Amino acid sequence: MDHKILQIPLKEEEIRALDVGDVVYLSGTIYTARDMAHLRLRELAEGGSPVPFALEGGAIFHAGPVALRGEDGSWRLSVIGPTTSIRMEPHADFVGRLGVRAVIGKGGMGPDTLAACQKYGYVYLQAAPGCAALLARGIRSIKSVTWLDMGMPEAVWELEAECFGPLVVGMDSKGNSLYANIRAKALERIDTLYPLAL
Amino acid sequence: MEQAILQEGVRRLVQNAVSTISDDARLLLRQALDRETNLTAQSMLSSMLENVDIARAEGKAVCQSPGYPTTYAFFGEDTFPAGLEKLLGAELVAATKAGYLRPSIVHPLTRKNSGDNTGIGMPNIEYIPVPGQQFVDLYISFKGCGAELGNAIEIFTPARLGKDLAGLRRFVLETAVKAGGKPCPPFAIGIGIGGQMDVCARLSRRAVSTRRWDDHNPDPQLDALEQELRDQINSLKLGAAGTGGDTIALGVKIAIAATHTAIAPVAVNFHCWVARRSGLRIYPDGRMEKLL
Repeated sequence: MDHKILQIPLKEEEIRALDVGDVVYLSGTIYTARDMAHLRLRELAEGGSPVPFALEGGAIFHAGPVALRGEDGSWRLSVIGPTTSIRMEPHADFVGRLGVRAVIGKGGMGPDTLAACQKYGYVYLQAAPGCAALLARGIRSIKSVTWLDMGMPEAVWELEAECFGPLVVGMDSKGNSLYANIRAKALERIDTLYPLAL
Repeated sequence: MEQAILQEGVRRLVQNAVSTISDDARLLLRQALDRETNLTAQSMLSSMLENVDIARAEGKAVCQSPGYPTTYAFFGEDTFPAGLEKLLGAELVAATKAGYLRPSIVHPLTRKNSGDNTGIGMPNIEYIPVPGQQFVDLYISFKGCGAELGNAIEIFTPARLGKDLAGLRRFVLETAVKAGGKPCPPFAIGIGIGGQMDVCARLSRRAVSTRRWDDHNPDPQLDALEQELRDQINSLKLGAAGTGGDTIALGVKIAIAATHTAIAPVAVNFHCWVARRSGLRIYPDGRMEKLL
């Protein structure tokens, strides 16, 4: 397995060179976005408004942190880990159009994302599920928070990452998905264990 | 039961659950890592064990998502835990303010976040009467909701259960494949069988929340089925994190109830590896014993 530290903004050619199974770490600005943030971003973009985040060459993290607010109003990160990415599958093409180069989450995504990864040149990165205390060590600070009206998990948190990971390339931009391969083999095995009756 | 005793019990129950994972889960993760042959899965399992240690050392939540808490109260004729909703509700709000639980509970339609994990139907408690019991057993499980995205329910007919339950087994295996990496594997699975839809759904959640994941079912037939299903799911090579490997299921826990002659309802319920579960036995005189 190949270990790499990638600096955000990410370059298209370095992303297109990645293969499923590679292990990478990210440094630079990462934005969290879950269900509600994706919906609001689309509403903005489809209404012709500019997207208020630097997502060209950027990284989106499917996550909602535990953040604590100090008396001076500043935010401090406690822990942060990936949420289940498949919920964001309907936005696969939209994310590509924003120029995003890396989507971080857990559990993998579907065929629309795999197609968009190829078309636009981005990758899906799998973070270790449920490892929020460990992953928080790769976040140096919270730079800003936007859309807190949607609640702490759904707001967009701008994070300063330093060697954030490890992240496994789960879907590359060459049409390969770890998840699809594993799933196909597993379904074959079920057919041998319990053939469909009748 | 005296309110002060119950309050102390509820405080311990929640504190134990939010600050770490139950020891059965930790033991099974360690065993899974020792057996694992896939490099990515080894890395994932190591990260999980390391994460538990970091959370404990730094006094932080072990996972960013508190999931959705469900509580079980097993009580006797003289040990009904009156006032439990109020005490537990207050304890959950306190744990939220302390940063152990991210405010994550919202209105189901407007999606408005209450900000303190309160809301309609919170806290969710199931009361189970146990005739003759001289104490109250409380369990709580903060179960993540990626796990919920993998859940499935099916109302089988006698024919579809299949010879030697082949139909049921296939359903469980297919459900595990469809769930894949969504439920933060390696997961434990609760399977509820019987009753109608509501009964099997409740049993599935209760089995995976209150039983030790390394225990044995007292019913030998169910015990064998639990182990066969666990081993067969693992033989699918989905792996920790769903990125390939030897262990995706830490345990399978089955609970049954009688049903109608025409049907066999089956609910499959995943619990993430981050087993923020705890159990506590509380006696009316104030003695307490850790169950989980």
